[in-house]
Amino acid sequence: MHDFIERLTAYVHWALFLLLEVTSGFLLFQHNHYQGSVWFTQANIVAAQVHEWESEVLSFLRMPAENAALVRRNIALQQQNDVLRHELISQSNNFTISQLDSLTNRQIVKSSNCQMIEAQIIDNSVRKRDNMLVINAGSEDGVAPEMGVVSGTGVVGIVSAVTPHHALVMSILNSHSSISCRLRGTEYFGYLKWKGGKPLRAYMDDVPRHAHIKKGAVVETNGFSAVFPAGIFLGKVAEIKNSSDGLAYELEILLSTDLANIRHVAVINNHDKAELDSLYQQ
Amino acid sequence: MITTILKRMAWALLLLAIQVLVLDQVHPWGYGAPLLCPLIVITLPLGTSRTEALLWGFGTGFIADIFAGTSGISSAALTFIAFLQPPLLELMVPRDSEEELRPSFSTMGRWNYLQFIAILLLLHHLVWFALEGFSYFFLKDILISMGVSYAASLLLIILVEHVRNPKN
Repeated sequence: MHDFIERLTAYVHWALFLLLEVTSGFLLFQHNHYQGSVWFTQANIVAAQVHEWESEVLSFLRMPAENAALVRRNIALQQQNDVLRHELISQSNNFTISQLDSLTNRQIVKSSNCQMIEAQIIDNSVRKRDNMLVINAGSEDGVAPEMGVVSGTGVVGIVSAVTPHHALVMSILNSHSSISCRLRGTEYFGYLKWKGGKPLRAYMDDVPRHAHIKKGAVVETNGFSAVFPAGIFLGKVAEIKNSSDGLAYELEILLSTDLANIRHVAVINNHDKAELDSLYQQ
Repeated sequence: MITTILKRMAWALLLLAIQVLVLDQVHPWGYGAPLLCPLIVITLPLGTSRTEALLWGFGTGFIADIFAGTSGISSAALTFIAFLQPPLLELMVPRDSEEELRPSFSTMGRWNYLQFIAILLLLHHLVWFALEGFSYFFLKDILISMGVSYAASLLLIILVEHVRNPKN
């Protein structure tokens, strides 16, 4: 008996080794179900707090680049606004510039049915296969799972889990991410997916072969899912390839948002979403 | 006994802090970041029981995972090398070594210790990047990532070990 116990203790490290590796494996695979695992992620209280302090320091250092991007985006929007305004006037004779200007910002925001919740990224990565980021807005700020996250330059990701003050966001640079998108000016749609590798390179699949596509065409959200409103910038077509089954095109997309270098984002709370969701469930 | 454990914990926390706050933000040419955590397992002294080594490896990996969002990957990789560290160390130190010898350039000899680090770090990186790249589309990219991270980690660990032990 004594001998037996001695022999057993000599092998106890094997059992412990297997137990710990199985535990690691469990953590690795249950992480795919993001909702249940928020306490084992960067969004838990301690980790989020440490990352928040770190990000406060870093945001001072990155302020100039961030500002420059916002200014560029602002100018682009102003130009677009200008074009649309003239288009609107030429379309309808009884609508004048003064009438358009009298629409206050508030009315415009109200009519779009979307609320923006501003937040800062406090933890981020781009080098993994499944990248997640953490923002400093949570359920108490009105953030809920499945809401879209955008930056000044385009789509960033989708909220996957929330704590009271933080939210875990599935970045578009995640193998599970799939964002419904279209080519601007057409109704050809597909799904934007990331397959690992370079953080600015993603793919749009399911584009029919009869579609006329040019390099440089803009890819934007199509608003099918209500996570993102239609028309939000995703990137531009960099390369046109055949899909693996040869039945459709696969477009290589140069993403407009450099996820390795962003800090300020906004979460989109689309009030139509609940309505659409209930429709899908019926 | 207690002071040794506290000292080692402080050492582990310092390395973890550097990993989480500095290294996780660095991506040389957009590829894998250097990983410093294996050093915690590498420097476990001679005579550490395999059970104890495993607990150190898993504990360190678990914390690193939580902060880096790599749930399970670092814990699996560090547990793996923690399992192999004690027998490998016994194999590579001189026969007549003192009982609780702490691996370093001065105690093991420059070339011996370098080999010891290189082997354990390679095993760690193989497991880490295999798990991370599960169903990865670009095999080439993951191999480059592993290579870049391996080289960067190795250089960094050698640097840290020289700073820690400046005589050699």
